[in-house]
Amino acid sequence: MGFQTITGPKSEPGSGVFPALIFVQGNDQHTINLDHSPFTVGRKVDKDLVIADPRVSRDHAVIVSENGKFSVMDQGSKHGTFVNGERVQNRILERNDRLEFGVRDIAYVIFNPQHVSGSNTAREFLSQISGIHISTETTDLEKLTLFLEAARKLNTVGVLDEILVTLLDATLKLTRAERGYIFLKNEDGALRLAAGRNAKGEPLLDDKTMSRSIVDEALKSNSEFVVTDTSRSLDLAGRQSIVAFDLRTVICIPLRKPQVQSTRSEGTGTAQMLAAEAMGALYVDSRFASRDITSVSNDILRAIATEAASLIENARLVQAEEAARRYQQELAIAASIQQGLMAVTIPEVPFARLSGRNLSCKEIGGDFFDAVNTEDGLAIVLADVSGKGVSAALLASTLQGMIYSQLTARMPLVDIVSAVNRFFTQKHIGEKYATVIIARVCPDGKLEYVNCGHVPPLLVSGHSVVRPSLGNVPVGLLKDAIYESDHCHLKPGDRFVMVTDGVTEAENANGDFFEDSRLESVAAASRSMEDIFTAISDFCSGTPLSDDCTVVELLYTG
Amino acid sequence: MTLKMDTHVTEGITVVSCQGRIVFGEEATELRETLKRLLETTRQIVLNLSGVTYIDSGGLGTLVGVYSSARSSGADIKLTGLGQRLRDVLQITKLVTVFEVYDTEQEAIAAFRRH
Repeated sequence: MGFQTITGPKSEPGSGVFPALIFVQGNDQHTINLDHSPFTVGRKVDKDLVIADPRVSRDHAVIVSENGKFSVMDQGSKHGTFVNGERVQNRILERNDRLEFGVRDIAYVIFNPQHVSGSNTAREFLSQISGIHISTETTDLEKLTLFLEAARKLNTVGVLDEILVTLLDATLKLTRAERGYIFLKNEDGALRLAAGRNAKGEPLLDDKTMSRSIVDEALKSNSEFVVTDTSRSLDLAGRQSIVAFDLRTVICIPLRKPQVQSTRSEGTGTAQMLAAEAMGALYVDSRFASRDITSVSNDILRAIATEAASLIENARLVQAEEAARRYQQELAIAASIQQGLMAVTIPEVPFARLSGRNLSCKEIGGDFFDAVNTEDGLAIVLADVSGKGVSAALLASTLQGMIYSQLTARMPLVDIVSAVNRFFTQKHIGEKYATVIIARVCPDGKLEYVNCGHVPPLLVSGHSVVRPSLGNVPVGLLKDAIYESDHCHLKPGDRFVMVTDGVTEAENANGDFFEDSRLESVAAASRSMEDIFTAISDFCSGTPLSDDCTVVELLYTG
Repeated sequence: MTLKMDTHVTEGITVVSCQGRIVFGEEATELRETLKRLLETTRQIVLNLSGVTYIDSGGLGTLVGVYSSARSSGADIKLTGLGQRLRDVLQITKLVTVFEVYDTEQEAIAAFRRH
């Protein structure tokens, strides 16, 4: 790594005694205490801050302290020293100044920023969200929890990945291990690599050079964590991955769903975690050439074990919440599509007036009506798909599309419903079906209709009501069904009223239905469709509808 | 769950008596599953619906669905005990022409035994 970290005695970075430098290189970020002067910067390895890049001169710059002020001085570098983008020779530094040495953008230093303790992604993230104050005593893992809370508030997509990466960074920092991986169990129980990072903050996508057998063993064991020093175990030292990849120390922490609160006192926190099944594992390792990580305190590992599991569990909950929210959105979209289907542009014709209205119950229903004007006359469709919800709405829109296109093509009504029936029965869409009525009225008052399982339409002439009774089976139930149409003749002033069964089955508080008889008498007495709706709502008097009510009325004017 | 079903065998014919509501959802599903299970071992079922207070469009779909698949596999379901409402629904939907409907359970059983 191309830098050294200076740790002054008993001084926390950014504690106020010494100013801090935040050194940022790619995704990596480190806090360095400016606890002596001059503080040297360059490519040579003896510098306080070593930046291993050819554009950085060997002796590039120094930061010096004078009368409590710090300034940066260029040491005759080839590619220059920059403060806030401006090339400088000597410049007194202010808080938050951005220093660049030869390399621009790839690596830079922030001088003594406001919030310096920790270089955690979570902290950066949080500091961008106003109103959240983090005490400097907050542990990294507590910060992660805060991060998660914030992420939840923002409805962040892919929050789990963010959490895993941040968790790995924190763990690597705490254990000082070289590499870290998180494995999560799939639904089938197999482990999959969910995240990998090295201490430089670079992503590791390949898990071939780590010891999978140690992960498997840790998962099988009941331990909170497993620390393996391969140099002390002949058994392990012989293992292929250990030998091939020169692994010295491996720490593996099974991630168990937090079921009970684990005690952290007296170092006996193990027993209470036993029952929970592992949902994955957190694995870190170091190689022989690197530092020994076996000395990491058990307290830290225990803290990671408990916090990490609950973090991941929480993150998963956030994801589930997000999925549920999206599903709700989809439902809302489905509902609006259904509303769109019901929003019919009623064609204007000189010989008739058409009106239609739908009273929806709470759920998305499968009612729709449609009107198409062709040279053959004005065609009206009223349909009710069985069931409710998205499946009914889906089927309704398919049905509407099929009927609409065939009406436009001026197909005979019987052929249309036969084709729709064939389509529905051949597609094996379960027990879903639709009752459909299609009527076509010509300018001369001749009306043809085909009724497939619908409540019989009402022909209102003056104060008399006729119920033409010719009906057929619904479409979509029986593949060999044969359909017949009927004809009648309208006189000027006659009305042809079609309703869905939501009307006749509208219930009042006593459990009585509106019934055909009431429908007929209100239709005979009324002048318009609105009277029918008024009668329904008077009848129900507050009892909510259990099905959509749709009424379509055609007034023949001649 | 508002549908109860009792199964008994009379004169070698399986009779399923339904009580309650046959509606879209778990009731319709339960009816379908019960009949499908019975059809694995018998080819003749009498469905007594005299205790059924309500059948909605979903329930009707299930009834037709099970009936059709029974017929296509060589089995048969006969209906009995239809209330006025169910008769009306079958009349409106013309499904009365599809089902074999008998006034009493005995008549339905006898019809099976004649064949």
